[in-house]
Amino acid sequence: MSTFWIVLTGALVASACSIVGCFLVLRKMAMIGDAISHAVLPGIVIAFLIGGSRDSLLMLLGAAAIGLLAVFLIQWFHQSGVPSDASIGVVFTALFAAGVVLVSMYTRDIDLDLDCVLYGEIAYVPWNTLQIAGVDIGPKAVWGVGLALLLSVVLIAAFYKQFKICSFDPAMAAAVGIPVALFHYLLMGLVSVSTVASFESVGAILVVGMLVVPPATAYLLTEKLGRMIVYSVLIGCASSVIGYFAASMLDASIAGSMISIAGGIFLIALLFSPSHGVVLRKIKQKQMVRQASIAE
Amino acid sequence: MATTYHSRRGRRMRRLLKIAFFIGCIALITACGSGAGERGAEAEGKIKVTATIGMITDIVREIGGEHVAVTGLMKAGVDPHLYKASQGDIKKLDQADIIFYNGLHLEGKMVEIFENMAKKKTTVAVSDRIDRSMLRTGAENGMDTEYDPHIWFHVKLWMKAAETVRDTLAEHDPAHADDYRKNAETYLQELQRLHEETAEKIESIPKQSRVLVTAHDAFGYFGDAYGMKVMGLQGISTASEAGTKDVTDLRDYLIEHHIKAVFIESSVPRKAIDAVIQGAKEKGHPLAIGGELFSDAMGEEGTPEGTYIGMIRHNVDTIVEALK
Repeated sequence: MSTFWIVLTGALVASACSIVGCFLVLRKMAMIGDAISHAVLPGIVIAFLIGGSRDSLLMLLGAAAIGLLAVFLIQWFHQSGVPSDASIGVVFTALFAAGVVLVSMYTRDIDLDLDCVLYGEIAYVPWNTLQIAGVDIGPKAVWGVGLALLLSVVLIAAFYKQFKICSFDPAMAAAVGIPVALFHYLLMGLVSVSTVASFESVGAILVVGMLVVPPATAYLLTEKLGRMIVYSVLIGCASSVIGYFAASMLDASIAGSMISIAGGIFLIALLFSPSHGVVLRKIKQKQMVRQASIAE
Repeated sequence: MATTYHSRRGRRMRRLLKIAFFIGCIALITACGSGAGERGAEAEGKIKVTATIGMITDIVREIGGEHVAVTGLMKAGVDPHLYKASQGDIKKLDQADIIFYNGLHLEGKMVEIFENMAKKKTTVAVSDRIDRSMLRTGAENGMDTEYDPHIWFHVKLWMKAAETVRDTLAEHDPAHADDYRKNAETYLQELQRLHEETAEKIESIPKQSRVLVTAHDAFGYFGDAYGMKVMGLQGISTASEAGTKDVTDLRDYLIEHHIKAVFIESSVPRKAIDAVIQGAKEKGHPLAIGGELFSDAMGEEGTPEGTYIGMIRHNVDTIVEALK
């Protein structure tokens, strides 16, 4: 049973992350997941100082609040003319640094770091179950990440056209009367919610990896946004299933194996993709050279 | 004509490849799945216990004796604050009849998992029965609900942990309760001797030299129990880094009080301590590394330091040797 829950959680995280990840890759903001994973440090310190305990719900609320603040700042800086990579870099290093200062000022006697109070571990998901009226209804992680996934699916499906135009051509979107800024903030909010919810149940590396690697792989395989989303969800889910069994054979970290498999699939796509693939392009080049020499 | 033929063939090829890919995936998964689940039958008839840190594994081994098969999650030299789980851990936790852990947030978020698992199986924090007034808190900052988890450095407190293990085993397996009690009595006597021996040895250090400087504050209980001033460079957590001011403060203190040696730890990198030594040297105060102490993890299995008693003895001898 624990195998089923872990693979399901992995697939849910992969889907939730790779859907929003596609838009992030297109907007050149793929590393925002990594940024949020560091930027939430002051959130948990402040939550601890207010609440006085390391209760995980409290930590999650603190992290979510600062996560939203971080994406808001990143989007705002970006709209004010700072390049997207620089605004991500500025916001996350500054917030993380503020967190380190807070830890060293107020909580140095207490074990308070992201690894031990916020980041979960996918291996323990099956035992962290939720109970309603005494009935066991499955792991918390499945519900938490599942809800985040549902929210992204509903919002993106409802405003698919708007999100699409805003990602590809913000100027045109503005010209046809779409509130571009609103949709950017909405997307960033979704990213923040799904990443923080996933950090809490499965840890940072899995989330950051699933936000970037499957969408980047899908980007090599197709030029249509709809297909890119479907491919990246499929690739993400396949990575988590294969990764889990790889971890079981090697007795290794589950999240680590899942992302390594995703990285492997990316490499295969990079080499053999029909449109962008390195190998096919080489073959085509050779053919063209040969044809050219025959023509001479 | 030719182009349509080619594209049709291409489409068929692509479809075939897709099908082959999925069959391959399924075959891989079933192959992996059937391989698992056939191991782990060797401990037939024994109570299966899983413990987090080595110190607890050691207690269970001593008290459980032949009736208990104990597995430790964290191996030698692993920092429990930063422990990363592997896939094999799932089975160790799934198959265990009893799970012992330290508690007091030593195992981070895992503690919550164990508390949640308590609905389905026996999970026990060995620190549970220790009177909270005996524990160190972050009281200086007004946070007295959070305790220092490194209780094993106070041998008396660790004896309480051993009693918790004894009673849990006896309750779970009444048929062998007498054996557990007998084993526990022997072990507790050994621990009592260790406690007295440690106090005696520390007393042989001149009073003004009883200062223990290490990389992180794991030795608070040790200091309380045996009358040493303990100074650490980092906070409790091994993840927060030492600030520049900490390094210079510590250096000035050491020079002022003529402290001869500082110590490094098996599970914490020594960089911060090296900075202090370098700083003291520049001010003309010779400062030696007194040796390596075991803090959050024990030594390799099979060596004397691979047991709780051996580990404490190693620490005490190293400290006495360097500071005397």
